[in-house]
Amino acid sequence: MPDSDETGTKANRWHTPYLLLLPGALALIVFFIIPLFSILQLSLKDGGLSNYTGVLHDNQDVIIRTFYFSGAATVGALLIGYPLAYFIAMRGGRFKNFLLALVVLPFFVTYLVRTLSWKILLYDGGPVVGLMHSLHLLPQGQGLLGTDFAVIFALMYNYLPFMVLPIYVSLEKLDRRLLEAAGDLYGSPQRAFRKVTLRLSLPGIFAGTLLTFIPATGDFVNAELLGSDKQVMLGNIIEKNFGKEFFRPQLSALSFMLMALILVGVLIYAKVLGTEDLA
Amino acid sequence: MTGPNEIDPKLISHLAELRTSRRRFLSRGAILMGGVALGPTFLAACGSSKKTDTGSGSGATTQTTGGTADMAALKGTTMTMFNWPLYIEDDDASTSPTIKGFTDATGIKVDYQSNIDGNDTFLTKYEPDLKAGHGIGADLIVLTSWEAANMIEAGYIEEWPSAYFPNIANVLSEQANPDWDPNRAHSIPWAIGQTGIAYWPSKTGGTLDSVNALFDPKFKGKVTILDEMRDSVGLTMLGMGNDPTTGPIDQELAAVDKIKSARDDGQFRKITGNDYTEDLQLGDTWVAMAWSGDIASLKAGNPDLAIEFYIPTEGGMNFVDNAMIPIGAKNPEGAAAFMNHVYDPKVAGPLYESINYVSPVTGAVDYMTADGKASPFVNPSVDSKFYEFRILTADEDQQLSTAFTAATQQ
Repeated sequence: MPDSDETGTKANRWHTPYLLLLPGALALIVFFIIPLFSILQLSLKDGGLSNYTGVLHDNQDVIIRTFYFSGAATVGALLIGYPLAYFIAMRGGRFKNFLLALVVLPFFVTYLVRTLSWKILLYDGGPVVGLMHSLHLLPQGQGLLGTDFAVIFALMYNYLPFMVLPIYVSLEKLDRRLLEAAGDLYGSPQRAFRKVTLRLSLPGIFAGTLLTFIPATGDFVNAELLGSDKQVMLGNIIEKNFGKEFFRPQLSALSFMLMALILVGVLIYAKVLGTEDLA
Repeated sequence: MTGPNEIDPKLISHLAELRTSRRRFLSRGAILMGGVALGPTFLAACGSSKKTDTGSGSGATTQTTGGTADMAALKGTTMTMFNWPLYIEDDDASTSPTIKGFTDATGIKVDYQSNIDGNDTFLTKYEPDLKAGHGIGADLIVLTSWEAANMIEAGYIEEWPSAYFPNIANVLSEQANPDWDPNRAHSIPWAIGQTGIAYWPSKTGGTLDSVNALFDPKFKGKVTILDEMRDSVGLTMLGMGNDPTTGPIDQELAAVDKIKSARDDGQFRKITGNDYTEDLQLGDTWVAMAWSGDIASLKAGNPDLAIEFYIPTEGGMNFVDNAMIPIGAKNPEGAAAFMNHVYDPKVAGPLYESINYVSPVTGAVDYMTADGKASPFVNPSVDSKFYEFRILTADEDQQLSTAFTAATQQ
């Protein structure tokens, strides 16, 4: 009798993780795998594989521009976000939570309204352009809206918190005694930062750059509102044309290709950064 | 006013409270919903009408032809209408005098929903049900002519129960018999909008009147055109001396080429959908291809705004949105009775004055206020010529759309 009881418990134990997995797996299948598969199917309709070569050819400028914009925005967000996260984690003291709240605060305002308000700041007759004209930073007659700068800047701004938060977390949990040890071993502060702090915050940098780069690549709101026809990104092409039934196979192919390009980029990045365990 | 480097506080508050126009409202909604939804594909128009006069009022009668309309049987029933935003007074069905007047007169309740956000999206959403012959939960829907033509051809639309719609005779004569729906057996215009040009006279240094102001090198980098193919190609064709109601495809493709080379020369500040009004208001755009309803809303919200709107001497484009009964409707008689009510010029006059679109009902202008009669948005000058883009075949649509996308986006 006790024997059989034990087997029962064991069997239950064996099942439990799978049962726990079930809701998530089901959701993933229904909401991700199936739609993904139907997009793949759609992308091969009408022209088959030629849909892929066709969109690649027609949109090569847009594809290059898209990665340039999202890449530049990610680098910018890292340059601004890392020192910010470092300051909050290391020097924030009792204001830590308050400062973090400030980082997240813009999220309480709709994405669209935030982006639109940049438009009011950057328009030709606005304060930023006026100041830059009077400081001769910008030639007369040249504005900011409808330039690469405006779109990259807005992408960087909109995704900055996604960069700051993961880096903050990795810096926050850094064992300070390691820095003391580095000092005890006659490491200069710069050297200690390079060898200890930076290394140990790599997972945060990795997560932050991906969280910035991937959504920025698919973004279309910033290019639509702050750019012109010279700043069209892949997201805009898809958003504007998906309603037309005859464009759908090509646009699905474009989406798939975008996904593949991002995936390859992320794998290379993971390899270079030595964080395979995260990828 | 304010110096060049300050933001006019009035402008900010105005931007904030800007009455959303139909198209802008939609675009925002689409973006917020994550963007699967299709941007501004909804405008544009096709068809066969040539010239829109203004409804001089002659011959508008409320007919009561015989037939077997049994209005008493409809009492207490509900009629469901799907329409575009901003197509009823104050965009609020609960206070709309048109709907209230109808319910008071007939006892038919109206479930009015402003939920159509694009011709393509609409069909994508409902086509499976329509194909299967199921109802879609609506008795009356409103779509732009080219999509209406597709749907009638596909057999998705019921004929009017004509006994309930004697006022159909009040439709403007040039809208009475399009070749895609002879004698309006299945459809009737809900509203007519205009595509023309808006500009700042203070910046362009004088009055403009031609389509070709859009291509004038004097305004290089200060012009916006619309990413709506039928509007941009149509107006460009008019500037080239061609007729968008007849095509053919060579002339349409030539217009696309003209747009492309102007874009390559940096003529356009932006090729844009709904948000062209923002740059226009900020003064960054001097000359904009524009939809009448948007400019009407802008001026209504800010009467001091020194922006002018004109229908070019070469002609402007029209878009017509048509009310129709989808197959499987539960209350087609109620739907026809409602349109009959709207097609009474006494009802139509105040309605179209309020929503700032041209009334398709003959004689409606007679029931507008002096302001309404003077408004070019509601009562365009008899001298203005209007064109609806011709109905393209599926192949032509694909060919032209591909060329237009390449010319304006890629």
